[in-house]
Amino acid sequence: MKRNKKKKGKKSNYKNRLSLFQRPDIRFNRSCPLSVKDAPSIDYKNIKLLRKYISDTGKILPSRITSVCQNKQRKLSSAIKKAKILGLV
Amino acid sequence: MAFYEHTFVGKQDLSDKEIDNLVSKYSDIIKKSGKILKTEKWGLLNLATKIKRNRKGIFIHFKFEGENKIVKDIEKKLSIENGIIRYLTVKYNELDLNKEYFNFKKKNKFYEKE
Repeated sequence: MKRNKKKKGKKSNYKNRLSLFQRPDIRFNRSCPLSVKDAPSIDYKNIKLLRKYISDTGKILPSRITSVCQNKQRKLSSAIKKAKILGLV
Repeated sequence: MAFYEHTFVGKQDLSDKEIDNLVSKYSDIIKKSGKILKTEKWGLLNLATKIKRNRKGIFIHFKFEGENKIVKDIEKKLSIENGIIRYLTVKYNELDLNKEYFNFKKKNKFYEKE
């Protein structure tokens, strides 16, 4: 019984953090989080935002996991690469 | 004429005088044929990874309007400079002057009151 409880706790964490090695059976909301009204601006100086879309090892997360639209994903990846040059991310 | 953003990262052990010299030197170059809209000092920040054996760096940020020649001139001189780790210039059609992502002064004031 104790083991089962631990497993349940882990499952709930999966939804909170995005990662590359995710279970495919968890469903996410399909709408893009960056094209909503009053969405944060994509900029290479906005490190707080960029860190959400990077894995622990520094890779850019694919849009199938983050559900960012194609146009914004292109801008995100270029912003992340600029921040990497300066050593911010 | 176009708008540019330019940042460079200095080494951690540079003194305040040396940084001021750097800022005045490169702002003079820009002023020759363009005009500076804003200069920001982000201060000492941690680098994500070690770059040329440095853990930390001093960040300085320019926003200016000018021609392509200025950028070439600056980058040529920065690449020779000893105390500088990295630099980056970005071209824009329009500049947003109000937003500052690295302004920590407000937090410090809060602590002083306590």
